[in-house]
Amino acid sequence: MFSKHVTSLSSAYFHDELAARESQRVAEHLLSCRPCRADFDDVKLGARFAEQLQIVSAPDSVWAGVVAQLEQKKVKPARLWFMKPLAIAATIIVVLAGGTLLLRSNRNTGAGQWNVARLGGSPRIDSQNIGDGSRLGVGQWLETDATSRAQIDVATIGNVEIDPNSRVRLLETSSSEHRLELARGRLSAHILAPPKLFFVNTPSGVAEDLGCAYTLEVDENGNSILHVTLGWVSLQLIDRESSVPAGAACAMRRGVGPGTPYFEDASEPFRASLSKFDFADNQTDKTAALAIILSEARPRDAMTLWYLLLRVDSADRANVYDRMTTLVSPPQDVTREGVLNLDRQMLERWKAKLSIRSELPQKKVHSFWKKLWTETLGRIHGLAGKR
Amino acid sequence: MLDQIVVTREQLPVKESTDSRTIAACQQGDREALRVLFEEYKDRVYSIALYSLSGDEMAAGDATQQVFLKLMTRIGQFRGDAEFATWLYRLVVNTCHDEHRKQRRFVPLADSFLPTSAGGESPRASYARKELAGRVQTAVAELKPKLRWPILLKYVEGLSYEEIAQVLNCSKGTVASRLNRAHKALGRRLGHLKNEI
Repeated sequence: MFSKHVTSLSSAYFHDELAARESQRVAEHLLSCRPCRADFDDVKLGARFAEQLQIVSAPDSVWAGVVAQLEQKKVKPARLWFMKPLAIAATIIVVLAGGTLLLRSNRNTGAGQWNVARLGGSPRIDSQNIGDGSRLGVGQWLETDATSRAQIDVATIGNVEIDPNSRVRLLETSSSEHRLELARGRLSAHILAPPKLFFVNTPSGVAEDLGCAYTLEVDENGNSILHVTLGWVSLQLIDRESSVPAGAACAMRRGVGPGTPYFEDASEPFRASLSKFDFADNQTDKTAALAIILSEARPRDAMTLWYLLLRVDSADRANVYDRMTTLVSPPQDVTREGVLNLDRQMLERWKAKLSIRSELPQKKVHSFWKKLWTETLGRIHGLAGKR
Repeated sequence: MLDQIVVTREQLPVKESTDSRTIAACQQGDREALRVLFEEYKDRVYSIALYSLSGDEMAAGDATQQVFLKLMTRIGQFRGDAEFATWLYRLVVNTCHDEHRKQRRFVPLADSFLPTSAGGESPRASYARKELAGRVQTAVAELKPKLRWPILLKYVEGLSYEEIAQVLNCSKGTVASRLNRAHKALGRRLGHLKNEI
């Protein structure tokens, strides 16, 4: 006798999308059921016509159009202003890094692999518990659970401490670039190298080291927060970029990229409103947040307001400018009209002036150099680093 | 007549696992990585746009461009918990829907919709093949969108039923049912040409 009809399965049977037993049932049924066989023939005919669809090559003009539109959208903040103070720091760091490199060249001999030390618990590399002399190769994941921590030597240029509940992967290591991926958790980086040599990818953007120390944390949703303790870090996602100085922090949101940097000693309403301004979808919320930001801003927060000049619409830009001038007077040759028209040179000059205000707290500088000495340079004299 | 080049399915792998490092680089704004993805997918994205937009080459070119611009700006949202191709084709479907809404006009199928002949064919065979391809494309373009998309994703992109379901955000059973109806509709409309295939 006929089993249940199979017309609803004709296409799936034709495309071999059925499980073996089901496919066999359909085949047997088709042999004995003329209506289902006729239905299957109709489907087969339609499928044979559909197979005539061919792939057509895209015109070359498409890529040119993509590039042109990307260029139009690209309004990268220039970086020259912070390069001046950085240049001095970089010179010192390059010299120190050279010495460090010599010291460490005998330790990190595995090509494309970084030394990993267990700081606590049972960190794992690709599911294997790590022991003494473990190494992290390109493409390998290092994971820590709730009770474990680890330290990775970033080739010869510094180290990264991996906190509990973190997942990091080595993406690339070469003389021109060292790149980690932080999928979740937190790392603390201490880098002694010229700028633009060490990068950390996160789901919400990339952190580019400019010779510094910082912590970077990624939550379960792929959103990140950066805290810089020394030097500068640049956060980027496509055409959005924020340069974050020591003492400042900056959030990144998945799909949006970096928000606006702010000094961590800014008031709570200032920081909360900045987060709303950066990441709220609602324009009304953004407008209300901007009003609080402007009223709460201190002279030190002019750095944040400088970024807002680039990120508000023209109507709000005048308000931001006016508030900034009450906090930090612009250089003599920087005019209101020029800033409101986003004159690049004027903005750079004002930013350079603001950068003077972001000097490092002396205590943190001392702490950093002490750490640097104990972990690296101290070894010149046979002094073991303390961790 | 525009010089469109037909690429055989053998030349383009129907589905391949896109290198995760390329995607990661693209997520960081690396334009070279975008170029790699573009080269890998451009013809299939363009083809599906062309077929879904009634053969309007300009609209298909615009849609393809929009897809890769969106890819660059939204790839940060790609979590890697689905196939990259599935994620990309969602962008394609949504972009073509938007483009279709923008068009708001009937675009007749032009001769240029028909692919040019493959080398080595006689003029008669070439004409017959072009004629058939054009009629199939017209019949596909006339299908309701909910029937047309599974056909395009199956035959142009080579996706499995599971992948089509993910792209169209429906069940695998719905995909099977729509393909059933689409196949029968094509069979009915083109049945008089069955001796030509």
